[in-house]
Amino acid sequence: MFSGKLGIIDLSKKKVNLTQTPESLKKLYFGGRGLNSYYLYNYIKPDIDPFSPENVLIFGTGFLTGTLVPNSSRFNVSAKSPETGILGDSNCGGYFAAEMRYAGFDRLVIKGKAKKPSYLYLTDNKIEIMDARDYWGLDTTDIQQALRNDLGHVEVACCGIAGENLVRFACVRTGVKNAAGRCGLGAVMGSKHLKAIAVRGTQGIQIKYPEEMLETVEQLKDYIMNSKITSILGSVGTPLLYEVSNTLGAIRTKNSQLNAWSERLNAEEIEKHVEKMISCSSCIVHCRHRNMLGGEGPEYTAVGLLGANLGIEDPAEVIELNNVCNELGLDISSSGTILAWAFELYEKGIIDNSLTGEELCFGDFQLAKKLLHKISRREGFGNILAESTKNIARFGEKSKDYLIAVKGLPQSDPHDCRYIKAFALGIATSSRGADHLRSRPTLEIFLKLPKEVKEKIYGKGIPNDPTSYISKEKTIYFSDNIFAVIDSLGVCKFICHGFNSPHFVDYTWMKKLVHCASAWDVSEKELEEVGKRVIDIERMFNNREGISRKDDTLPKRYFDEPMPLNLSKGHHIDRKEFDKLLTRYYKLRDWTNDGQVKKERVKELEAFT
Amino acid sequence: MKYLYVYPEKCTGCRECSIACSLTKFGECNPKKAAITIVRDEFYRYEFPIVCFQCEDPVCLKFCHQNAYHVIDGIVIRDEDKCIGCRLCATLCPYNAVTSIDDEIIKCDLCNGDPKCVKYCSTGAIQYLDETKELEKRRKDMAEKFLEINKS
Repeated sequence: MFSGKLGIIDLSKKKVNLTQTPESLKKLYFGGRGLNSYYLYNYIKPDIDPFSPENVLIFGTGFLTGTLVPNSSRFNVSAKSPETGILGDSNCGGYFAAEMRYAGFDRLVIKGKAKKPSYLYLTDNKIEIMDARDYWGLDTTDIQQALRNDLGHVEVACCGIAGENLVRFACVRTGVKNAAGRCGLGAVMGSKHLKAIAVRGTQGIQIKYPEEMLETVEQLKDYIMNSKITSILGSVGTPLLYEVSNTLGAIRTKNSQLNAWSERLNAEEIEKHVEKMISCSSCIVHCRHRNMLGGEGPEYTAVGLLGANLGIEDPAEVIELNNVCNELGLDISSSGTILAWAFELYEKGIIDNSLTGEELCFGDFQLAKKLLHKISRREGFGNILAESTKNIARFGEKSKDYLIAVKGLPQSDPHDCRYIKAFALGIATSSRGADHLRSRPTLEIFLKLPKEVKEKIYGKGIPNDPTSYISKEKTIYFSDNIFAVIDSLGVCKFICHGFNSPHFVDYTWMKKLVHCASAWDVSEKELEEVGKRVIDIERMFNNREGISRKDDTLPKRYFDEPMPLNLSKGHHIDRKEFDKLLTRYYKLRDWTNDGQVKKERVKELEAFT
Repeated sequence: MKYLYVYPEKCTGCRECSIACSLTKFGECNPKKAAITIVRDEFYRYEFPIVCFQCEDPVCLKFCHQNAYHVIDGIVIRDEDKCIGCRLCATLCPYNAVTSIDDEIIKCDLCNGDPKCVKYCSTGAIQYLDETKELEKRRKDMAEKFLEINKS
């Protein structure tokens, strides 16, 4: 079958129900993030506590996941986020999702709460709820190896001890470092007493037109492999972005007090610690580093947020912090942002020893490492930091001015968004809070890209100047839509048109790939509609939780403090210009001026079941 | 004569080779139903492509009761009509290069001179090369290395 099963698991009742997502619904949302968001909107009642059994946790593979389509390794984990209280969703690579499809499953919807620690064991067309008491308390590598010892070569998605202890930014992990990192979904696993999902499948994904897929993929592979960016990503991975942002003066440094940091964290330095570059399932880019310190990574996010943002410049120390986060099951983006926030608050005297129990300062590797361990075990001050951005209530209203977060989600991108205005609009409007993987139009960084190239992608009237507010709503609108589609297809953003390259997989390529896999004829326009639908239903979820225009904003520092260093010196976000940009963005989305999805559209999307 | 040569140091573990093989032979994407297998373990830090070496004195041929195996132009070919699916070849192959799954026996036939695994590999970890002395030596080194691993 090309279409796999939908497994609905009620952990409270210990019941498993196998069903199927109707084809009509798949045509609207495809899979992955799209269908996950549809189910979240329909299955989660407003105002529930994310840690209650009423929260619904979804593991959804993409429409093309596990196929020959390059980089089709992805799945999304979604639930109401305990970190933000709004839509929680995180996309992840590795080998887990492909294996889920080989076992015959497209998606798992997990409800309720198990009485005792449990894990799910998926084999061909079968789901069992198993006892996980022996695995509770294990780090993420240990549990995965233990499950392989006990069950054979399974692929595993699990939470670490951070998830067990309900750290609000605990991640879901698979393999050595692949993570559905954002929004605290590992803590949702912990709250359900679900330690892991282990899967082993032997079934294939039936392809409608095998010859056509072989031919199309051969052409696509040549096209992608011939790009310079592919070979750079494949040799040094995402850390290449560090130097680009740093030269510009846009690397978040010491909680964005500064905007540039040491060249010791450039990709060529990181590379010295790398043993081999490896891939996720079906991936032809291979951007994953197997490092010499026993783990994988670091990505650009780790280099920025566990390096520059904490005032650390030794690559080996950054890699070690990266590995620690992965073992404990902590989201690196939130970890680096929350620690830096606390460090600055301590420096400024907003919090003191009576709360922290010790002196906090930037640049102290041992301190950072110790705090990560304490957070994961909720010990001492770690128990406070584990509450993430909710600490505004404890630290005081003044602390909010120094928090680099939107809608309660610490910013993932190490890029300081005061210079490139489109980036700022992107993190302000992203459906899960301050996040760059929803809509970042990376091309804005490439200052020398011809105007025609940008206009061809985003539409007429896009100025080449990244600091201009003019028409930037179009770049975010385009990116937000197409990234939602690629997330629904289960293909990595790294080969998505407009993410790292002005080329790669655009709607035309998607149309061909969907056709050879399923025989569905969809037009470019219809694919874009899928993206718009996903963005709208995610917004509907958030509107229902009280999100409106007032929440589509930026950290105070981005508005009020000009950047101090390098090319971007003096730049900040102008409140009035930003407000106008937001208005134009809503108009393009056809949302109300208050950022609400219009009633007719809500009605339309609610009618599809 | 051309054969497959593997370079594990270049293998990233992605399995496009296996998926392309299963798609070609069975019309489905299934890395476990392929004549090439990537053995990988991210925790033990290795990726290793296992291919049929097209042995000169093949065990699969030697022990087949049905005489289903033949060497044609240097390639060890399994005759599906003669095969009764006993899986002895898969069990005895010292390189575990004969795959057995779902009542199927899958044996590499080099895709009539156009091996799909090579075509879809993005790093050159599997290559289809003319047999030269140097490559031949490499091939044998690889086989010995693998036998050593197999023993432990």
